[in-house]
Order: sequence, then C-alpha cells, then structure tokens
Amino acid sequence: MPNSVVKAVFKECQVDADGCSIRYWEAGQGRPVIMLESTGWRQSMLHDTLAEKYRIISLELPGTGDSPANTSSKSIGDLAATAAKAVATITAERYTLIGTSFGAHVALWQALQAPEQVEALILVSPTAIKPLEVLAKATAQEVHQSMFAHPENAEKHPALSQEIFAKEQELVGRLTSGAHDAVAESRLGEIRCPTLAIFGQQDRFVSPEAARVYKENIANSNIAIVYDAGHCIIGDRPEALVNSVSDYAEHWETFIVGHQTGLINP
Amino acid sequence: MKASYFAAMGYSERHSFPQTWPIPPAYNDPETSVQSYQDGIEECEFAEEMGFDWLSFSEHHYSGRVSTGTPSVIAAAVAERCKRVKIAMLGHLLPLNNPVRIAEELAMLDNLTNGRVITGFLRGTPNEDQVYSMNPAEGRGRLLEGMDLVLKALTEPQPFSWEGRYFQFRTVAVWPRPVQQPYPPVIVATRSDDTIRYAAEHRMSLGVSFVPVDQMAAITKKYRGWCEEAGWSPTPDNIIYRGSIHLAETDKAADDWFESLKQFKLGPTIPLRRTVAEAIQSARTGGEFDLRNLVAGSPEGDVVGNAPGLNFMGGPDTVAKQMKEFHDRAGVGVVDLLFQQPRMDHRGVMKEIELFGKGVLPQIKEY
Repeated sequence: MPNSVVKAVFKECQVDADGCSIRYWEAGQGRPVIMLESTGWRQSMLHDTLAEKYRIISLELPGTGDSPANTSSKSIGDLAATAAKAVATITAERYTLIGTSFGAHVALWQALQAPEQVEALILVSPTAIKPLEVLAKATAQEVHQSMFAHPENAEKHPALSQEIFAKEQELVGRLTSGAHDAVAESRLGEIRCPTLAIFGQQDRFVSPEAARVYKENIANSNIAIVYDAGHCIIGDRPEALVNSVSDYAEHWETFIVGHQTGLINP
Repeated sequence: MKASYFAAMGYSERHSFPQTWPIPPAYNDPETSVQSYQDGIEECEFAEEMGFDWLSFSEHHYSGRVSTGTPSVIAAAVAERCKRVKIAMLGHLLPLNNPVRIAEELAMLDNLTNGRVITGFLRGTPNEDQVYSMNPAEGRGRLLEGMDLVLKALTEPQPFSWEGRYFQFRTVAVWPRPVQQPYPPVIVATRSDDTIRYAAEHRMSLGVSFVPVDQMAAITKKYRGWCEEAGWSPTPDNIIYRGSIHLAETDKAADDWFESLKQFKLGPTIPLRRTVAEAIQSARTGGEFDLRNLVAGSPEGDVVGNAPGLNFMGGPDTVAKQMKEFHDRAGVGVVDLLFQQPRMDHRGVMKEIELFGKGVLPQIKEY
C-alpha cells in the first residue's frame, strides 16, 4: 500500500464519439488504464497511485458531471459502445478497465461489447446486479449521505449539486430503471478477461449477494469485500481500495498470492 | 432457565500455583495434567447425565486454572463423549486470533456435533492482550471486525477477499459449511456499551460474567432497549450469565466450606504485577503510562487482580432462589456455572454436579 502518494498532474483533453464531445483526464505512462467514473471527475488517491505506474485515462461519461444532458444513448449498451469508441480513438492498445458504481455498470457492458479491447476488468461497487432501491425523491444530499458508512466521511466529500444530480438520475433511470440488469447477468459468462468486483461491506445501494453473482458466472473472477465501507469505498476506506485495485491491476488473478514479508529481523 | 456446565478443565493441583500470571509451565506435571483433563471430561459427561443443557468452553491462556487455551480441541474431545448437550464456545478471544481460523474451527465443530455448537466471541481479560503480543489499544477494533469476518466466512458460498482494517485475506473459502444455517447461534460476551449495542443490532445473544445481579439487570436493560430499537425482542435464551458456584447439601455446609477457605491464603484469580496491569489498562484506553510514576511496593503488594468470588452459594433451595433473582430481575435464561472453585477437588465437583442435577435443575427449569 502506498504510504506517500505523489499527486499526479492530470491533463484535461477531449475526444469525439457518436456525436458526443467527451472530456477525459490523462496522466502517467505505461499500460493504459481506463477509468469510468460514476459521476463528474474527481481526482482521488486511486487516480494518483495508478498514475505512478500506468497511463490513466479517466473518462467523463456523456450525461454525467459537467457534460451536457445525454439524450442520444438509448440503452446502457449504447453508452458503453460510445465509451469504447472514445477509448479506441485515444489508444489502440488493450487496456485495464475500471468502473465505479454506475460507471462499473457501463464498464461491464463495455467488456461484453468490446472484449478485444479489455484485458482486465475491475468493477468497484457495481450497480448492475441486484441494486437496492434508492429512496424515491431523495435529494442529492440525502443520496450522498447514504453512500458512506460513516457520516463524517460524507462531510469530507462535497455532494453533487442538485442540478447535476437530477441530470444523472434522469440518465441512470432512463438507461437502467434502477433495476437489476438481467441481460447483463445472463451474459456474464461471456467475460473472459480477469475480473475483480469490489464491494463495501456496508453498501446501501447494492445487495451484498451481488458479489457472488459475479464470482459464480465469470470464469476468471475474484470478489473483494472492503470492511467498514459503504458504496463510496474511496470515501470510507481509500487505502483499502487503492491497495486491492492497484494489486489487481498489477497481478490480475494472482493478486491472491501474498508478497508482503513477515520477516521481522532479517 | 437452562443450565450450562463451564468446563474449565482446571489442573488438579492449581491450589499450589504461585501468585503470578502466567503460571510457569514448570508447575505442570504431565501425569497430573493428563488426569486433570480426564477428570474434566468425566465432569462433562456427568453434567450431561444430570440434565445440564450446555457444556461451555472458554479460551484462556497460560494458566492451569482454566486450561483451555485452544477451546476447540477440548470441545471436540468432549463432544465425542457427550452426544446430547449443546457445545457452547464461550468463547474465542477474537482479537488475538485469525478470525478465518476460528470460522473454520466453528464450522468443523458444528459438523462434528451435527449442529450442536453455540458460539461466543469476546475480547478477553486484560492479561490476555499480552498473549500473541496484541496491542491492547486495538482489541475493540479487532473484536468488531473479527466478528464480521467470522460471520462472512461462515455464510459466503463463494471464495472472497477481505480488505479489513486489521485483517486482510485475499482468499477465504471456509470448508465445511456449518450444519446450522446460516450459522450457529452467536453470543457476544461483553459489558461494554458499544459491543452490547453491536450484539443487539446483529440479533445476537448477550453473555455477561460474574457481575452482581443489580449490575446484570442494568446491562440487560440496555441490551433489551437496543434490541427493541433494532426491531426484535430477545428471549431468556438470548441472555446468558456466567457465575461461580458452590453448592452444598445445606446452606450451613456451604458457609462452613467458605469459612474453611480462610485458613488458606487465596490470591487473585489472575494475578498480575501492578506495573503490567496498569500498563495494559493504560494501553487499552489509549492513555500514557510512565513506569517511573509507580512506586515499587513489596513483592506481595506488587500483585493485583480480582479476588475469587462466588455468585451462587448455599444449599439447593437457596441457590435456586439466587438464580431466580437473575431470571426475574435481569431476564437471564441460561446460567453458565463454574464449579471448579479454589481447593475443590474432582470428587467435590462431581458431588456438586449431582446435587445440582437433583436439587437445583428441577427448580430452575420451571423459571
């Protein structure tokens, strides 16, 4: 686990795909790692750590963050196809694909539709399988609060503005209805790349039973439970998330092999 | 009410121990030790025969007074002899141990006993923080995370990684699964508010040891309140009280025995050097401890700890009444009883078990 992470300098760039002008942020060098965020761009310890070893490309999904409302994507598969086209324009190399929350749902479809591009898949708090019902008419602040295991962590991270929240809710609701994605579940067996699905132990947005669905259906997969973390793992347990994601990005399924020494007096 | 026999498996010559903890292994004679375990197992068999509902096993270290550092080992041995009673692990000291290993032991025991295991978790007495060199300040956090991890390990049907604060395992896949689904009944043994609340919120039973009935009533009142907040009501079976007992034919005989103890110089049950005891307590509460602030006393004055006490004493009717008070005032449904008192030998314990089965159990079963 990194003890002192140097803050990476990310450069804001732009790419066009399916008629959308998509912003992305890039830093680092090495094998490409694509990150699909759940919402607007926020640089975290995870971005900084990965940027020390990889070329990080963090994509703002059309209709999220500060991007215009997305009315062109007709399905989550459409949005994933747009993301895949955007990434293909940025890099011709195969990449590790990391998605968080709704971004993980999109990443899952991207891996299904563009398997030749994705060499490893990391799903952080994915909402595709067995999502739990979010309170109807909840405000941005209420949803924000329930994303964390500890209220004090919610206070450390700014909530979305009500305007961006409403725009994203409309997109997510239109593409997923906030419901279990039975089609994606039925196709999980098609995913052949190494896959890690990570869940916060106290996630209030996804059923804890979701993790095993990935494990049962994706041949080369691992699931990880982050203790004392809610849906926003990076907010509750940033070190734990960075530790598991960076280990998996480096070692894929062999991340289960211990490398830390127990030797006290060499 | 139900009765549980606390299988301490005490070393028979424990009255000869020095006033210190840990007890040096030099005091252990293998022949005496082997016989002590056989005596303890015989007591368990007899307790089952006399109608006890549970046999309980505790993790305690480096002391022949309770000689069960690895409680699953002795529980497995006893369970092969005793085929009816519940095997209550009261319990494992989770902060000291690998929770995955504990989950494996519990699952295996539940299989060996065909679903008779009751499991309990606790932090342990302060001296035991020193076993396996745990930082006392981390005990609470390790207990809370350890409980979550054990339950996850017992219930998750797919291999998983655990990214904890204190524990990290990249592959957990406990085999076998427990017979009792989703997992055996769980007791949290504690007097601390935060852990009592944890038990209530997770619909777990509460175990409390050796406190007077007033204090027990205050603790269970809080527990029941938090259970109600969590949307459930505990039954008497959810409240377990562990106490020390001396049972005699009559109240006078019990008093006489107690008086006879006074000719012996009984030290504390867990004698610690004062410096060590204060350092542990200070570390548990995150305080600063400076050894130089303590004035060294005499060798005897340097030893601190709780004196042995009795929670139940008297003839059968008196003891039954004392237990009824715990039932009526504190809602206790299970009494877990330590019969192996100072200077009480195997024959004496067997006699008390018989007396309890014939004179007390029929009464408390009615409560």
